[in-house]
Amino acid sequence: MLSIRGLTVHHQLQTLVHPLDLQLHRGEWLALAGESGSGKTLTSLAIGGLLSADLHAHGSIQLEGKELLHLSEPEFRHIRGREIAYVFQDYQSAFTPFITIGKQMDEMIRAHTSLSRQQRQHSCLAHLEQVELPAKPVYNSYPFELSGGQLQRAAIATALLLSPKVLIADEPTTALDSLTSRSIIQLIQRIQQETGIAILWITHDLRQVQRTADTLLIMKSGQVVESGKSHSIFFHPTHPYTVQLLSSIPKLPSRYRLELQNKQVNT
Amino acid sequence: MTTTFTPILKADHLTKIYSDRPTPALSDVSLTIGKGECVGIVGESGSGKSTLARCLLRLESLDQGTIEFRQQLYHSLKGHSLRQARQHIGAVFQHPTAALNPKLTIIDSLMEPLDLQPSLRPSFISQPIRNREQIATQLLEYVQLPTKLLSAYPHELSGGQKQRVTIARAISTEPDLIILDEPTASLDVTSQAAVLKLLQELQQSLHLSYLFISHDLAAVYQMSDRILVMRHGQVVDQFASNDLYHEERHEYTASLLDVFLA
Repeated sequence: MLSIRGLTVHHQLQTLVHPLDLQLHRGEWLALAGESGSGKTLTSLAIGGLLSADLHAHGSIQLEGKELLHLSEPEFRHIRGREIAYVFQDYQSAFTPFITIGKQMDEMIRAHTSLSRQQRQHSCLAHLEQVELPAKPVYNSYPFELSGGQLQRAAIATALLLSPKVLIADEPTTALDSLTSRSIIQLIQRIQQETGIAILWITHDLRQVQRTADTLLIMKSGQVVESGKSHSIFFHPTHPYTVQLLSSIPKLPSRYRLELQNKQVNT
Repeated sequence: MTTTFTPILKADHLTKIYSDRPTPALSDVSLTIGKGECVGIVGESGSGKSTLARCLLRLESLDQGTIEFRQQLYHSLKGHSLRQARQHIGAVFQHPTAALNPKLTIIDSLMEPLDLQPSLRPSFISQPIRNREQIATQLLEYVQLPTKLLSAYPHELSGGQKQRVTIARAISTEPDLIILDEPTASLDVTSQAAVLKLLQELQQSLHLSYLFISHDLAAVYQMSDRILVMRHGQVVDQFASNDLYHEERHEYTASLLDVFLA
């Protein structure tokens, strides 16, 4: 579905993303993991033509065979939202503060389709229901009336309004509580099973994607150091950096291991 | 080996109410921290864990409750006696950038507590050393930072390096207790691991007591002897770390456990 070959991102003085290859299939959950400065966000922005003007991308990014990299801004506007949708870490700035959620969702459909007012409202409410929000009240709410978790759900509902083929989620749960993050991840998992949407998940926290990602790309300083099936990387990491990254994550011992440990202390 | 439990801090029935919030930020919270012990607080945002930290640092007034620190009344101290008692508590917060004055060089930020109290000299600094720069150098060595950073400004340092500077500053007065409020939450995973390891080593070598506050149950488990779980301003569960899986765990603890058990 999404095929990236030899993608590089340059600044005037330096190369920020070194030749990167990535294949994302329908229904696949691909996690792009790395620390700050690894180039994971630049990669995700390059896909939707969102790089700032001082950055230049080269190589090839194809969505269902169509080259995206050299599209003009009006052509990109046609694709973003409709074919590729984004959800970001900063849910506070996903919505304009003084316009209701419903009105902002409505605007999104109106900009891309010729549906009637009634059809648009119906679609908005259905999508708010899909993300497990009380549809009517949220539709009429202003952003500040919602909690962080609710806002991020509303942002996901908005991203899914036009049934995009690819959802790019850049640290969507980093600013949320661990319990809220978990429920957002479960929600996206469920939506993926229902719709077959392809997901590109950007994160610094490998714990988040251990249960969900099919494929994993580990990035460091603009380079992919390791990629492959998620479970094989988790259980048999080969690159020293991946090993370091995995061992850096704070872990709870299993119940069995802790009991064993306690027994040894007592005897 | 059994050691006797000497409380360094004892807080009872702490309550804190903000007039603009419907529920108390802290409601009847009690805890004791023993000498050389690390007590962990885990909770989500809004649980009151940072309010607790600020109350224990006396940065926030209490509405109810008592605090004893070093076997002395602490919650009602004022002025000079409060400043004196507070010399013995260190603090490290989530954002090292906000904790270091951008206009001061690292040595000036690092040495501020000792500059203000020239009589204080940490006993772990080798004795013949007298001058300021030598003390600062040794403090940086304790947190495994290169000495050349002394003349640098905060913006030249990475997040992890800055946090190490604030840790060096916290240990410089040889406090009996250091309050660590999300000390690694703004750091990358690998520097988080390195900072946690450093904190553990310092605790061992300097016999420090910690209150370690985080939303990350796994990090709290790794650091702490005992864990308190907070929710909506209350302590809903508390247990020894090696008792994590006891069947009497509160359902809220169980749901956190489920998230962090990958």
